[in-house]
Amino acid sequence: MGEQVSVTLRLNGEERTFRVPAGRRLLDLLREDAGLTGTKEGCGAGECGACMVLLDDRPATSCLVLAASCDGHAVVTVEGLGAGRGDLHPFQEALVRAGGVQCGFCTPGVAVTGAAILAVGGAARAGAARLLSGNLCRCTGYIKIFTALEEAEGERHEPR
Amino acid sequence: MSRAEGRGVGLPAGPLGGRGERLDARAKVCGQTRYVADLSLPGMLHAALATAPVASARVVALDVSPARALPGVRAVLTAADIPGENSAGVIFPDQPVLVTDRVRMVGDRLAVIAADRPEAAWAAARAVTAELAELPGVFDPVAALAEGALPLHPGGNLLRTFVVRRGRIEAQRRRAAVVVEAEYRVGGQEHAYLEPQGCLAIPEGRQRLTVITSCQCPFYVQSAVARVLGLPLAAVRVEQAPTGGGFGGKEDYPSEPAACAALLAWHTGRPVRLIYPRELDMQLSTKRHAVVVRHRWGADRDGRLCFAEVDTVMDAGAYAGLSTVVAERANVSAIGPYHVPAVDVRTRVAYTNNLFGGAFRGFGAPQVAWAHEATMDRLARRFDLDPVEFRRRNLLDDRRRVTCTGQRLRPPVLAREVLDLATRAAGWPGPEAAGDGEHGPYRHSLGVAIILYGCNLHHGGQKLDRSSAVVILQTDGSVIVRVGLTEMGQGNLTAARIIAAQALGVRTDVVQVWQPDTTTVADSGPTVASRGAHASGMAILDAARRLRRRLDPIAAELLGCAVGDVCLGGGYAWAAARPGDRLPISRLAAELAARRIEGIATGWYRSRARRFDPATGRGAPYEFYSVACHVARVRVDAELGLVKVLAVTAAHDVGRVIHRDALEGQIEGGVVQGMGWGIAEELKLDRGRLANPNFTDYLIPTAADTPEVHIELLESDGTAGPFGAKGIGEPSFIPTAAAVRNAVVRALGVEIDRLPLSPPTILDALGPLHPWAHVLHGSSP
Repeated sequence: MGEQVSVTLRLNGEERTFRVPAGRRLLDLLREDAGLTGTKEGCGAGECGACMVLLDDRPATSCLVLAASCDGHAVVTVEGLGAGRGDLHPFQEALVRAGGVQCGFCTPGVAVTGAAILAVGGAARAGAARLLSGNLCRCTGYIKIFTALEEAEGERHEPR
Repeated sequence: MSRAEGRGVGLPAGPLGGRGERLDARAKVCGQTRYVADLSLPGMLHAALATAPVASARVVALDVSPARALPGVRAVLTAADIPGENSAGVIFPDQPVLVTDRVRMVGDRLAVIAADRPEAAWAAARAVTAELAELPGVFDPVAALAEGALPLHPGGNLLRTFVVRRGRIEAQRRRAAVVVEAEYRVGGQEHAYLEPQGCLAIPEGRQRLTVITSCQCPFYVQSAVARVLGLPLAAVRVEQAPTGGGFGGKEDYPSEPAACAALLAWHTGRPVRLIYPRELDMQLSTKRHAVVVRHRWGADRDGRLCFAEVDTVMDAGAYAGLSTVVAERANVSAIGPYHVPAVDVRTRVAYTNNLFGGAFRGFGAPQVAWAHEATMDRLARRFDLDPVEFRRRNLLDDRRRVTCTGQRLRPPVLAREVLDLATRAAGWPGPEAAGDGEHGPYRHSLGVAIILYGCNLHHGGQKLDRSSAVVILQTDGSVIVRVGLTEMGQGNLTAARIIAAQALGVRTDVVQVWQPDTTTVADSGPTVASRGAHASGMAILDAARRLRRRLDPIAAELLGCAVGDVCLGGGYAWAAARPGDRLPISRLAAELAARRIEGIATGWYRSRARRFDPATGRGAPYEFYSVACHVARVRVDAELGLVKVLAVTAAHDVGRVIHRDALEGQIEGGVVQGMGWGIAEELKLDRGRLANPNFTDYLIPTAADTPEVHIELLESDGTAGPFGAKGIGEPSFIPTAAAVRNAVVRALGVEIDRLPLSPPTILDALGPLHPWAHVLHGSSP
């Protein structure tokens, strides 16, 4: 198994320390050591985006990130997007409402990227298409995902 | 009539056709849905496959001892370790699970490995040493049928021939004023479901086992595992895991990894999980067939089709798999929704050492539809007719409603209506291609394609066209539904929920439909051919009818009315004459339980028997049909050969909408997947090896490539599905690539007879018409 290293992360808002082999991918740390299987492996090569997480608030394909390099950093997975205790992030709610979920395997990665897009102020449809192009989806044709992003974006600007 | 069906089981008002939340969306969106790779058990081992790196070879020797010696390796098994039959073929026994003497395709399995960790298992797979004596390979289906080609199997390379022969072809040929001929080379396609193939086998002694698998057809997996282990079907329980996309790629193929994992579980006595890495998945799993289609079609001087000759060769790859069944659909779909007095269609299936062809959304129809729509545009150009007008002259309708196989369609035949709906919404005829094309590199145009889709299984598979459902009314009035057709993203669980709620008059949120499991319902055939909602829905309606025979008398008694006057809807029961006096269904359910009356009902469905003669291709291959028309708006960069699909208008004859979001989602997804196949997705084969087994080199559409999609739905009465619904999964895919091709051809003014329309294909077709031809080819402008 090789050399073990200690990795301390702020994982979904909670400080956690893991001892893992030095070569462990962040994706495997999340799925196997932290038991967070919401993050998916679709290709293992950074091509499909199913393993997208927020690394210090920026989307990152966790299959291409070494766990050890995340020591001292913040990671948010699909499980941590909501405010907690089963709440969904507004974009997750919008995905459900807009019919943006089909087989669901790309959905956690899409949810993470979408949340990041909204966090930086959202995007017009053309921009959203480009920003989402790192998340492959084979079911939806992306259209209802765009709708969800627009709806979640619209809600942010509505007075409460 | 579909409304009659509605009256028979409940109320016209209900959740049907709405946009309620999908049953599975909330769990999926927060990452709680457990796909098979997310499941692990104590003591679980990880499996890997040792596979052949060449496409054609004799196995001289196989040495697994280096693999067995590696740390963490618990089992390395070869063909000799199979207790039952070493056979993976779903129809023909031509494919071993583990090869012994001959390698016929890259990826043929030599040995299976189980180890403590996945890395150790794959390292052991690489350590298996095979001495292979390479044999010549056959990599072109037409060449495979030529004299002297090396046969892959004892019967030779011609696996099957299908035909449709109808009408007096010679006489019609003489009548034709215009005849066009063409040869179309239509490439294959990778499914690229986002979740790779995977399964988990859990043994219980050597008596029985459970397989949890990502699949479309748990009953196929059950029979394959039972066959390979030499067990009765009842000893193999297959539970469909939530499945991350299928598109046909998880129809027959999952039986193979399941057999491997089950074999390892059987030998080690431990749970074994096998998850394919993407590259291996793309190399090993089935593909859409590459085909060559030759056409000779003729029309009379009024622009009416006289005859159509179609000769198709399909590349089956190294094993039959489902290729003959795919060819059956391709064969009868070769003419499209047109009235043609004489047809001569031949479809041959050839073995080659290429990747292994299988089921893929459309099942052989997209390739031949691409060809028939290309030919229709060619003919229209010869007549100098608008392609829409030319189609209108030749479409089937309520008067001329005999298909190419001689089947008389039941009205309404909505081909013209669907064509009009799509073309009107798309603004046909669109921009004049020549107008802005003279100068800059961009050319714009519209293209149209229309198809006739045979719903559900072909006559050849009608013995599988049945399905089973179980409906259990809980004592609190909530409802459990089990069906044998699977959810793979298309929305089948949600459709089943809506149909059950509509039929029982309960609210959708009290109905739970659980993933299929072979121990809960009878063999319901495969979830293919757009039959999921249809087949599960019809079985649910049957179960609901039986349940209501017990429920309605209790309601009548409590309401003080006749049994025939009981109405159920929205969670309540009432007498037809007194709609204000309502009784909650939960009360009825409690009463049913208190009287100890059975609250569980089974339902069964089978399609109507029909006649079809495979020797002539005449008869009724399908019970009923739907029509789909897509219009694509494209922008072609004539300098670079790049196609951008800007918009697709999709008109569909859907019968009845069950769940609007799921239906639209199928169409949008089908359009985008069809566009990908049409312009970008290309299986690059190097002597049978896939040279681009990843998403960097095999390009599926991204969010940035998505066109606008406008959907036009035509509902009608008179069809046979639940409440009149027809399947949408495949018709949503089939016309897209053809519409895109026709748009590009109109934009550029040159015929393109090769798919995909990638830049090299387009530049090749442009030849001297390329804007810079004088520079590229050294000729004067």
